[in-house]
Amino acid sequence: MRIMGFSTGALAYGDFRRALEMLKNKKTNAVELSALREHELAPLVDALDSLDLSDFKYVSVHSPSSFDKAHESEVVALLGKVVARNWPVVAHPNTIYTPSKWNSFAGLLLLENMDKRSLEGRTALELSTLFTTLPRAGLCFDAGHCRQVDSTMNEAYAILSQFRNRLKQVHISEVNSRSTHDPLSGAAIRALEQISHLIPENVPVILESVVGEDELEAEICKARYALSSAGQSRQAEPFYAFVG
Amino acid sequence: MTTEKSALTDPIGMLESRVSRRWPSIKEARAKAHQTTLRLGKITAGQSSTDASFVVFGSLARREWTSKSDVDWTLLIDGQADYQHLAIAQEIATRLLKDKFAEPGTTGIFGNMTFSHDLIHKIGGRDDTNENTTRRILLLLESIAIGKPESRERVRRLILKEYLIVDHGFRFGSLPFKVPRVLLNDLARYWRTVTVDFVEKQRRQGGQGWGLRNAKLRMSRKLIFATGLLSCFSCDLLADRSARKQLTGPDHSTIGMEEHLRNFMSRTPLEILAIILLELKIKNSTAIKLFSSYDAFLRLLNDSTKRNHLKKLTPDNIPGDKIFGEVREFSRQFQDGLTALFFQGNSRLRDLITFYGVF
Repeated sequence: MRIMGFSTGALAYGDFRRALEMLKNKKTNAVELSALREHELAPLVDALDSLDLSDFKYVSVHSPSSFDKAHESEVVALLGKVVARNWPVVAHPNTIYTPSKWNSFAGLLLLENMDKRSLEGRTALELSTLFTTLPRAGLCFDAGHCRQVDSTMNEAYAILSQFRNRLKQVHISEVNSRSTHDPLSGAAIRALEQISHLIPENVPVILESVVGEDELEAEICKARYALSSAGQSRQAEPFYAFVG
Repeated sequence: MTTEKSALTDPIGMLESRVSRRWPSIKEARAKAHQTTLRLGKITAGQSSTDASFVVFGSLARREWTSKSDVDWTLLIDGQADYQHLAIAQEIATRLLKDKFAEPGTTGIFGNMTFSHDLIHKIGGRDDTNENTTRRILLLLESIAIGKPESRERVRRLILKEYLIVDHGFRFGSLPFKVPRVLLNDLARYWRTVTVDFVEKQRRQGGQGWGLRNAKLRMSRKLIFATGLLSCFSCDLLADRSARKQLTGPDHSTIGMEEHLRNFMSRTPLEILAIILLELKIKNSTAIKLFSSYDAFLRLLNDSTKRNHLKKLTPDNIPGDKIFGEVREFSRQFQDGLTALFFQGNSRLRDLITFYGVF
C-alpha cells in the first residue's frame, strides 16, 4: 500500500489545524503541512509540538512559494526546525536565492519541478542545473505541474528516469490552465497511468487536489487507482467504480 | 535520453569543410536571419506568453532570410481562452507593418491566430482543412518561436505524440524498418497539396507571381518535403538505440522516438540535409550539387532585380527568359542531388525511399 495523503493547503488553505481535523479517520497515512504564504510559516513551526500527527507515517512541510530575498535566512532558520525532526522540506526553486544557506538540509531539501509560469525547474534539463548547485537535494516530483508543461508526459518520463535516485516525494493533482489545483480528471488519471511504473511504491504521494471533506477519500481512490498496476494495465475496473 | 548521433553543432560548416566548398549566400542568409530574429524579438517584446507563442514560419524559420523576404507568422494559442489574444495578434501585425516588414501572403494562413486543439485533434478527415494541415506541417518542418516558446514547444510535442501513438505499424509492425509512416504520409500529402495548389493559384491569380512561386516550389518547398522525409527516415537511421529498444519493447513506447524527432526536426531543413549527408557519408559530389544549387537559389532571391523579374514572370514568357533559365539550371542540379542522395547514396536510404516513398 502506497504512503499517501494530502497537503493541508489543498484542504484548508492556510488553516493546517482544520485540514488535520478533516484528515482524521480517513484512509491516509501521510500529510504535507503547508506554509505556502510566508506569514504562515512561523505559526506552523511554532505549532508543530502541539499537533497530533500520530496517524501519519510520513510528514513533510511545504516551504513558502515566494518571499523576499532579504527574508531568506529567517525562512531557512524556521525550516531548520522542521529538518531537525527529520522531516523533508519541499521548496520551489525560485525561492533558493543562496544555495549555500540551504545546503545543510542535505537530502531533506526536496526541490519541486515547476509549472509553466516559472522560468526554471520545469524540465529535466532545467532541474539538472538546479541540482548542480544543490547536489544533495532530493526531488518532489509534481505530476500536475509536469503535465501542464508537457501533456505528452515525455518530460515526466525524462525527469523520473533521470532523477530516480533523488525522487523522495510526489505531488498529485490536476493543474488547470490558470495554474490552480483541481481534483483529478479522467485525462489526468490517464496521464498518471503512463508514468506510474516510474514512481516506486515506497515514495510518499501527497495530493494537492482542492477538494472538500466529502470528496477527500474519493480523490485518494482515484490517485491509488492511477498509480496502481491496475491503472497501468487498464485491465481493471475504471476508476469511477471505486469512487461512485 | 541518450546522446543523438546527429548532435553536430554546425553541420553546414562541417560539410563545407569536408567538401572544400564555401556557400556564401547560405551563410549570409543565416546571418541575416539571426539579425532579423533579434530585431523581431525587440519589436514584439512582451506580446507572447506561456499560453501564446509568436511563431514565425518560412524563410526566417529556415534561416534563409533574403532582402525581400516576408514574415509568415501566427500567434499560436495553447491555453485558456482570452479576449485579449485577438488584440495581441493585431498589435503584432501593426508593429511589423510599422517596422516595414512585408506582410504575409494573401492566403489567410498567416498573420493571425492559430489554436492548438485543431492542429492536434484534426489530423486527417474532412475537418483537417488545407490551412490546418499547412500550419501543422510547417510547425514541424519550419517554425521558430520569438519570445516565449512554451506554447509552440507543447504543441509540437503533442502533434508528434499524436502521429506516433496511432501508428500501429510503427509501434507493433514486424517490418525491419522503423519509420513513422502516418507522419510521413501526412508530409507527402502536404507536399502534393502544395504542388496542386500551385496550379490553382496560377489560375486564380492569372499568372501573377508565377515565376517566383515556381522557383520556390522547385527549391525551398521541395527542400522541406525532402528533409521531412529524411526526418522520418532518421528514426530508422539515426535514432539512438534506447529509442528503438523502447519502441520494440513490451510497452512499444514511442517516447524515445518522439524525443528524437523533436530534437532532429528542431534543426533547419538545410542543417538536416547536412547532417544526413555527413552521417551517411554521402559522396561529396552529391553534397556539392545540393548545397551549391541551393546557394545559387538564395543568391538569386537576394538580388532584387532578378527577384522582381521573376515575380512578374508569367508562364507565357518563359521561353528564352535568361533569369528563369538560371532557375531551371540550379533547380535541376538540386533535383539531381536529391535523386542521388535518396536512390544512390546509401543502400539503407534507397531501401527506405523505395519502400515508403514510391508505394
